[in-house]
Amino acid sequence: MCGIAGIVAHEDITAKLVDSIRNLEYRGYDSCGVALMNGSGVISVSKNVGAVDEVSEKENFLKMSGNIGIAHTRWATHGNVTKANSHPHSSGNKAFTITHNGIVSNHDNLRTELGKKGYKFKSGTDTEVIVHLIDDQFKKLGSVESAFVNAMRKLEGTYAIAMITAHDKGKIYCSRMESPLLLGVGSDANYVGSDFNAFINYTKSAVFLEDGEYAIVTHENHVVKKIATGKTVERDVQELQWDLEMAQKGGFPHYMLKEIYEQPQIVHRALDIDGAEIREMAKAAINQKNFFITGVGTTFYVAQIGQYYFSNYAGITPMVISSDEFRFLAQVDSKSLVLAISQSGETYDTLSALRHAKARKAKTAAIINVMGSSMARMVDHLVLQGSGPEICVISTKAALAQMIVLARIALEAGVMRKHITAKEAKTKEKELRKLPNAIDKLLNEQSAFIHAIAKKQSNIRHWLFLGRGRYYPVARESALKMKEVSYVHAEGMPSGFLKHGTIALIDDDLNSVVFTPTEDEKDLFKLTLSSAEEIRARNGYVLGIRFKTKLKQKLPFSDEIVLPKTPSFIAPFLQVVVAHLLSYFTATTLKRNIDRPRALAKSVTVE
Amino acid sequence: MKTLLLTGGRGVNMTPFSKTRPNSMIPIGGDYLIDHTLQSLKSAGIGSINMVVGHKSEVLSNHLGDDHFSDGNIHVINQGKSSTIGSAMLKAKDRFAPGDHFLLVYADIFSTSNIFNLALQAFGLHNEPTALICLTQSGEKYGNVYLDGDMKITKIIEKPKKKAGLGNYVLAGVYVLPYRFFGYLKKTRGNMELALQQVLKKETLRAAIWEDNWLDMAFPWDVLAANRNIMELWNSTDIHHSVKLNETVIKGPVKICKNAEICAGSVLEGPAYLGPGSFVGHNVLIRPNTVIGSDCVIGQGAELKNCAIFDNSTVGRLSFIGDSVVGAGVDIGAGTMTINRKIDKKTVRVLINGKKIDSGLSKLGAFIGDGALVGASNIIAPGTIIQSEERIEHNFSVPKSTGTKGRK
Repeated sequence: MCGIAGIVAHEDITAKLVDSIRNLEYRGYDSCGVALMNGSGVISVSKNVGAVDEVSEKENFLKMSGNIGIAHTRWATHGNVTKANSHPHSSGNKAFTITHNGIVSNHDNLRTELGKKGYKFKSGTDTEVIVHLIDDQFKKLGSVESAFVNAMRKLEGTYAIAMITAHDKGKIYCSRMESPLLLGVGSDANYVGSDFNAFINYTKSAVFLEDGEYAIVTHENHVVKKIATGKTVERDVQELQWDLEMAQKGGFPHYMLKEIYEQPQIVHRALDIDGAEIREMAKAAINQKNFFITGVGTTFYVAQIGQYYFSNYAGITPMVISSDEFRFLAQVDSKSLVLAISQSGETYDTLSALRHAKARKAKTAAIINVMGSSMARMVDHLVLQGSGPEICVISTKAALAQMIVLARIALEAGVMRKHITAKEAKTKEKELRKLPNAIDKLLNEQSAFIHAIAKKQSNIRHWLFLGRGRYYPVARESALKMKEVSYVHAEGMPSGFLKHGTIALIDDDLNSVVFTPTEDEKDLFKLTLSSAEEIRARNGYVLGIRFKTKLKQKLPFSDEIVLPKTPSFIAPFLQVVVAHLLSYFTATTLKRNIDRPRALAKSVTVE
Repeated sequence: MKTLLLTGGRGVNMTPFSKTRPNSMIPIGGDYLIDHTLQSLKSAGIGSINMVVGHKSEVLSNHLGDDHFSDGNIHVINQGKSSTIGSAMLKAKDRFAPGDHFLLVYADIFSTSNIFNLALQAFGLHNEPTALICLTQSGEKYGNVYLDGDMKITKIIEKPKKKAGLGNYVLAGVYVLPYRFFGYLKKTRGNMELALQQVLKKETLRAAIWEDNWLDMAFPWDVLAANRNIMELWNSTDIHHSVKLNETVIKGPVKICKNAEICAGSVLEGPAYLGPGSFVGHNVLIRPNTVIGSDCVIGQGAELKNCAIFDNSTVGRLSFIGDSVVGAGVDIGAGTMTINRKIDKKTVRVLINGKKIDSGLSKLGAFIGDGALVGASNIIAPGTIIQSEERIEHNFSVPKSTGTKGRK
């Protein structure tokens, strides 16, 4: 996902344009750029890697000037995060400059054709192909509009494009095919945007483009036409009733819920990560004498879940150390691999753990979400989880994707070490493929029940979250979710710990959640239930998060959330999602600041 | 945006009050439900309302008065014999033009916040058909939706059976729909559920999540919930200068309207509402979440708790009305008790249209229809419904004079 903005006016628009892409940052923020055209048709382009404010300062965006401009904020999915790959892109003679969102599927063919005609490419992007294609068509046809439309007709795939050109000053050309784009109609300026966050600070009047349409926008008017026929289309101007923040959340009341609902898709993406990358990471993990996994907060629990998967499926027990404690505990040397987990790739504690490891000549690796981040640049092995921007401070989708990636690496390592057979690994992979659907079903069939329980129990201030085996780190991660979003005290621990002290706490003011394994995990299942019984015997409240069983007897829970029968390999992940909803609904009942809980920051980049 | 407001439903579950009024004319928090709806629509910027009326429409038109009908803001369409939502909607089709999108509102929906703002904003996001959805404890009564990560509704399961174990966000009775929707309604013979399925099939139906309070005013006990929702937002006391108070104890936020009178020794525990012209006798205890309409009389020594008394009703001395709703023009004789809890403390079931419905509430009293007459000294069982205009005789333990010799 990327964000496009454009403004055409008769006065300087530089500051407004920078503001526009800042408001689109939620669509992605790994690099950005602006192109501005002055009255004499000279286009200047400035772009670099980083978030809008950072690049604006580095590249002096605000020192530029122009009354027509386009801008872009990028979230790379293909092609590295580099200055060359960031938008806008210009044709060789700088006469055409465009920004683009989407994927042109026939860009390889077009690149070859254009290459034969002598076009030189500076970047690996499909966008640069488009701008050269327009230039090529212009040379042939001599009219900007015909060149633009003809180029669009040659593109396959998805796109939203905005273009400015010295050959037709005073206009923005734009088009859309399956990527969002709309126009903003102002009193003394007109606008183009991926969504109306691009211009909602300036106008609330918008014209929606449909797929296969293009528009030509001047500061006074706009015309919408069909790409296929060139016929003009009449489009009403619509009045938007939407504020900035609500628009970015796309109809969800909070980013947290939006990101929870993105999880089926995010798991798909984690499963689509190239097997070669996973294999390389698995090889790195088993080839070293010592294998460490490190993270902090949620990513520490992600690492712990990974630890169990490595133990259960690869027959190795990686050392999992919280990254803030890493340098005080980890004995790393040149025969070690240190795998760091971080959403942002900038987490201070985890970066210092990696630096500590590197200084002792250890190999390093990372699973992260933000391409081009500090960690991405410093490690020997990298897996990008591809979860898209995560805005809510509480990590949901990114953490789940990291667990999936670790499970995949563990399976690969298991096959390499002959701890499991390739066939067994295949079966588990197939089970993983069932996870997106299972999450989708869970979200759409259980939300109201989880909400009802959260609401009923929202007066409780103390919770124990209990689990055994792979469900133990799930319990810890779930307790952290409850703490950070609802400010309710929750403690995650192995349920075996109960009788060694904690059970003394059981009373009316303390609830327990028991993450119950599947019935197939016989020992775990039995032991977990006996913990629940211990609490019930002391009149404690127990919420069971469990899967359907064949058992006739009632399980020892005060309330339960019953999930369909699920393969044990993916069962813990499904429970993670239940815990997301449980803490979310507890927090909404308590009217907490969901997306920005007190005292927390998205990316902890300080000691 | 043009609006289609559906008020014509029979509200069969709102017995005994649905016999005498449409659901939109249920009093809540001192106003009528319709007043809240119209006010919210107005503040959401809605200028033109097409209101489909039907069941007991004269009650609604009496309340709104001629002014409302002639100033052009509200256009009234009679749904005639239409018996479904869809066929009632079709009656209003001519009020809309091809290319229009319109806001569709079920008049039974109540929220203390402006739910229509969200509908308009959500629609503005994509300019695609939009349905508001919310969470409720009773999902089995509504259309359960399936959502994808882009807030598109992918499936609607209408009224899933309890044992199906389905519980997600439900359709909240507020939509923005295209003119084409009338076509789908025609095709499905006015079946709203099937017409929505057509939207899913042929175009996109976007959802927007409503997180604030939401009530479908379906059952008589929903009146009490609506009152509570309104009054829990009150944070100050408001007593009209014309009110006569004599040695009355007032705690918490209360609203006492014009020309009301409270006699000595009474206690008012807020939140509570006392309508204009109402009279409260000596030593009356009014406990939280009580709403008393206009021109009511509460007799000496009565106790009222979490209840609604509509206009022009009388509660006789030494009575107890708790967790109950009393209609308009009801006369309750002295010493009458509503019993509001079962002896086993289980949730109270209420016989509604021949079906025992579990209210989910362990404290629930009686529902007494408009114009009913309840004789003195009656003890009314939890969950009892007394129909409108019904006459219940005095309940004497000593029915007759014992004669000159007296009893042996």
